[in-house]
Amino acid sequence: MKVKLLMIALFVCLPMLADDAQEFVAESQTPPAAQAEQVPPDPEKTDEPSDVPPAEGEPAKETPTLEELAARVEALTEALTENRNTTDLLSKMKLSGYIQAQYVNDERSLNELNGANTRNFDQFSIRRGRVKFTYQFLPTSKFVLQPDVTSSGVSLKDGYVEFTEPWTTWKHTLTAGQFNWPFGYEIMYSSSQREVPERSRVVRTLFPGERDRGVMLSGLGLNERFSYRVAIVNGTGTAQAFDANKRKDVVGRIGYSFGAFDFGASVYRGEDLVATSTNARGLEFDKERTGIDFQWATPVPGLGLRGEYITGQQAPASGTTRSESQDVRGWYFYAIQNIGTRHQVVVRADEYDPDTDIDNNAVRTINPTYIFHWDSHSKVMFSYEFIRNQASDPDDDVFTLRYQYAF
Amino acid sequence: MKKLILLLAALALPLAAQKPITVKGSDTMVIMNARLAEAFMQKNPSIVIQVTGGGSGVGIAALINGTTDIAAASRPIKTSEVDKLKARFATPGFATPIARDGLSVYLNEKNPVKELTLAQLRDIYTGKITNWKQVGGGDAAIILYSRENSSGTYTYFKDNVLMGKDFSPRAQTLQGTAAVVNAVAKDANGIGYGGAAYAKGIRFAAVKKDDKSPGVLPSLETVRNGSYPISRFLYLYSRAKPSGAMKQFIDWALGPEGQAIVTKVGYFPVK
Repeated sequence: MKVKLLMIALFVCLPMLADDAQEFVAESQTPPAAQAEQVPPDPEKTDEPSDVPPAEGEPAKETPTLEELAARVEALTEALTENRNTTDLLSKMKLSGYIQAQYVNDERSLNELNGANTRNFDQFSIRRGRVKFTYQFLPTSKFVLQPDVTSSGVSLKDGYVEFTEPWTTWKHTLTAGQFNWPFGYEIMYSSSQREVPERSRVVRTLFPGERDRGVMLSGLGLNERFSYRVAIVNGTGTAQAFDANKRKDVVGRIGYSFGAFDFGASVYRGEDLVATSTNARGLEFDKERTGIDFQWATPVPGLGLRGEYITGQQAPASGTTRSESQDVRGWYFYAIQNIGTRHQVVVRADEYDPDTDIDNNAVRTINPTYIFHWDSHSKVMFSYEFIRNQASDPDDDVFTLRYQYAF
Repeated sequence: MKKLILLLAALALPLAAQKPITVKGSDTMVIMNARLAEAFMQKNPSIVIQVTGGGSGVGIAALINGTTDIAAASRPIKTSEVDKLKARFATPGFATPIARDGLSVYLNEKNPVKELTLAQLRDIYTGKITNWKQVGGGDAAIILYSRENSSGTYTYFKDNVLMGKDFSPRAQTLQGTAAVVNAVAKDANGIGYGGAAYAKGIRFAAVKKDDKSPGVLPSLETVRNGSYPISRFLYLYSRAKPSGAMKQFIDWALGPEGQAIVTKVGYFPVK
């Protein structure tokens, strides 16, 4: 990059220097008017040396002295140094992102004039349009900002600063701002890399938006096999700008890698303030999640398996008559088969039970997907979700055709 | 019908055979890999191997996004890169050390400084020491030459000599070890670092682990016995354990003929 910029600078500067040289020679060696009337040299013999001086206004062909050249090289070096300083600063800024354009066909769709409460889900849309700005001048601190520009509007996904200690190999890092909840695997796994269109139902329900605001401490040690992340957060996610209750929530994950097999355990402890039928100011309900996850690069070539199980307590919806949270649980399992470098066949199965005290009310989904990696930046995804609700099973399967470009 | 199938198979076979094996990555290794590929293809004309540089990070990124078969890297793969490889291809990758390198410190031939400790090197490259007289040389500003941050050599030097600290902003970034050698050869006050294979027109600084240790020059013996303080393996990374033509190439590169080429271009054999 820098070399290219230097080359561009050279290209820009060289003609300028050439112009300067012409002016310099023209001023000092312009021939008298009488000489200018002499017969000009034959243009067809321009390769041959000629004693005829140049006509008025024409550049002389005299070679600049070494001192003159040295002065120009020095001037050029100064200009290049300035350019290099600028490019050095720019090289600390990293820009990445991706866009997901898609068509969705949803069996629930009905014609609906009122766009705000649309019941027609069959449409083209920009599902995600992320641009991530990272600025890191020194290895001890980092700035990250990631807006999401979609058909629905613009929102902030990530916005945080990181401070990394330089004294140990653990590289303990303090993160402050808005970031992913450090829980499980699927939350922190980028949507640009995920092999199905959306996260599993249990993750979407218990961790809506996947992000919260707070501070987090993280590190990587034991020969980079052990990782930890622990955060104190508002607990309200990013859907609303304020935290309703004074208490802060604690969430964290520890992980260990055995090489091809990785394992993690996560915990979330907090409370939600919810208005009930008898208390409009709200009651605090337990908000707890405990999870385990694994990722296995199996010995079968190209076959990866992934899974997560989450159990916990979820606060009821606003206006509830309940006084306690309800027990919830859910899981997901991925089987991903790579075929060569461009094809992926994926099946994800997941289940979410919103109240374990009630029988037969879980929602199960089977999500077969095929991905074609068109090139190193873009891929096309064909995905079908078979959704089965144990309580009642309406027609609600979803087909998604998605094109993604990432840089 | 059978004839048609046979004809199609006959047409398809050469196409299949011509699919090249791509090797992308470390600029430090690019000459060695090219020499290995040339010699291997002469012996195995049906196998095509394409070698390109770009830096270890670029090679590993290409391995992760599926655009190269082999990534050449002058540093071990990072945990974050293994995670990406596992996520995309369900494999932690497979590393084959192909050569050893003594990461050399280049000085201009006119420079009176003969040896430097690791601490002095760190202070020089982080900008704490700025004049040669501070390390026993003449009264002249030290001109730092370094590599771009996609280079495995840069990462290795930063991690193992600078101990993770940032390079001085005065360090001039050059693309490729050959450019660093060339710059130091022309600059009496210059200092650079890179593979031993490129050391032409300059001389090596003897490197001391600390003040009390003897200065050691990079050589087959000192790199092998571990007395040279800055040595490393050079790797060929593949997504899976090599098989077929790729295995044939890597096995050959690790054999006597391949390792002779490794030595000839200035690195040290692994066997």
